[in-house]
Amino acid sequence: MEGNYYVCTGCGLLCDDIEVELEKDAVSKVYTACRVGVAHMKEGSREAVSQVDGKHAEEATAIEKAAEILKNAKNPLIFGLGTSTNEAQKKAIELAKKLNATLDDTSSFCLGPVVEALLQEKFNTCTLDDVRHKGDVMVFWGADPSDSHPRHLSKFSYFPRGEQKQRGWEEERTAIAIDIRKSHTAKICGSNFFQIPPGGDTEFINALIDGVSGKLPKTSYKFPPKRLLELANILKGAKFGTIFMGLGLLYSLDDLDPIIRLVEVLNEKAKGEFHLIPMVGHYNMRGFNENLFAETGYVNCVKFENGEAKHGPEYSTVEALKAKTVDAVLVIGSDPLASLPHSIVKNLLDIPIISIDPCETLTSRKAKVHFSTAVTGVECGGSATRMDGVEVKFDPILEAKRSTDEEILTKIMEAL
Amino acid sequence: MDFGSFLAAPEIKVKIVTYRDIFQNKAMIEDRFGEEYKNTSALIKMDPADLKQMNVKKGDTVIVKNSFGKIIARAEESGYETPHKGLAYMPNSPWSNMLVSDETGGMGVPKFKDIEATVTSAKGAKVTDLEL
Repeated sequence: MEGNYYVCTGCGLLCDDIEVELEKDAVSKVYTACRVGVAHMKEGSREAVSQVDGKHAEEATAIEKAAEILKNAKNPLIFGLGTSTNEAQKKAIELAKKLNATLDDTSSFCLGPVVEALLQEKFNTCTLDDVRHKGDVMVFWGADPSDSHPRHLSKFSYFPRGEQKQRGWEEERTAIAIDIRKSHTAKICGSNFFQIPPGGDTEFINALIDGVSGKLPKTSYKFPPKRLLELANILKGAKFGTIFMGLGLLYSLDDLDPIIRLVEVLNEKAKGEFHLIPMVGHYNMRGFNENLFAETGYVNCVKFENGEAKHGPEYSTVEALKAKTVDAVLVIGSDPLASLPHSIVKNLLDIPIISIDPCETLTSRKAKVHFSTAVTGVECGGSATRMDGVEVKFDPILEAKRSTDEEILTKIMEAL
Repeated sequence: MDFGSFLAAPEIKVKIVTYRDIFQNKAMIEDRFGEEYKNTSALIKMDPADLKQMNVKKGDTVIVKNSFGKIIARAEESGYETPHKGLAYMPNSPWSNMLVSDETGGMGVPKFKDIEATVTSAKGAKVTDLEL
């Protein structure tokens, strides 16, 4: 962006219209960002810290120790990278190749399958800018952007004026929420909130396909057919419709076939086009998926062997930890000890952890080696891939007092 | 004498669905070991009828447990208009993750949003601290 606008790397929206004020080498005020973005952009003023066994160490000593752990491991795991730049992610892929490591990110237990299907062109998709300029019907399904992507509705999907939508939400856009609870987003959708029971999504999709196809929609939980037909009619009338798919929907499905089928049927029956966008959370999870896909043909869960990538759920972080097949872990910008079930992640405590993260986390506290690194978008620049696949480049706001994750990865690689 | 104190504490079975919360997310970014993050995370939102059945008032602490773990969290009314007895909600956090099953069917995806647990009054005990 021109001028003094910055990019917020607080979530997958990568809002690029952020203004800041600085005071004493730190971000003191943040304008335009959401509550999460403001907190995120004020993070980056910490001093560089390198630790070995919980004690302060010179960076060079910590690099040496990290390299030693990785060299001695038979099957190291490299995990995280959803909050790293494309450049750092490519470096991590290179490192994984060199180490014959298992490589995975959080997408293996969240929206990875949807991004994979998207990259394999299994459904129609679009950008958030398309939605802002043309979108008339948006469906938030198992997703609550008001909490997870706070500016989604105001910057892109519902409230703004767009090139072809000059009268905005008041007259020209219809927002629909399908969820098991009345989320904050569902409240905004008013009477277009469709509450279904937990696990009821597949049936609801099939009933909706029937409704759109002129058949009587039925569910075992007796969702009122009249309401389903009302929804089917709104969707059929769409000129530019988009389903925003959240984890609530994904976790409820056995596989993606029903939702892909629904998008296909809507494209046959609706007035215009229908699209699906996964509600990617971390600011560059999609970037990781795309970078790994370009390199190996897979979006996550790979194990390198002599330059070749093997792929399967057994190489997912969760299954690798459950089966105890990995004997060291390099975690970049993630906190698996907090974000994974304790029943599984406790096995992480039995192997050496190297942590690279801007923050102190549960994982960094248990790490053999920890590097406190720059917050991307605040202390360092780079590029990332927004949740809709648009590449966004960003500059740093502050002069970094600490290394970037990419620099640490490069140094570890050199030390191997 | 309070005759009720001789009775076993009523325990109810719930299915817990986790969700995201902007205030909790912001608190995590500011200080994941801080009080605000604990207060916005170690929280279970329930149907008022379930709270009543357990003799628990909103804001009281409860024990939430299953075969995978046990935590003490603050109980709140969900505020949802539609009754949802037996269905509870927790923000996704290390506290909810203490209760998630290790069963994944070999597919690498834990059931973060599908937790079976029992809830009973913690009789004033403090919320579980974040540590491993």
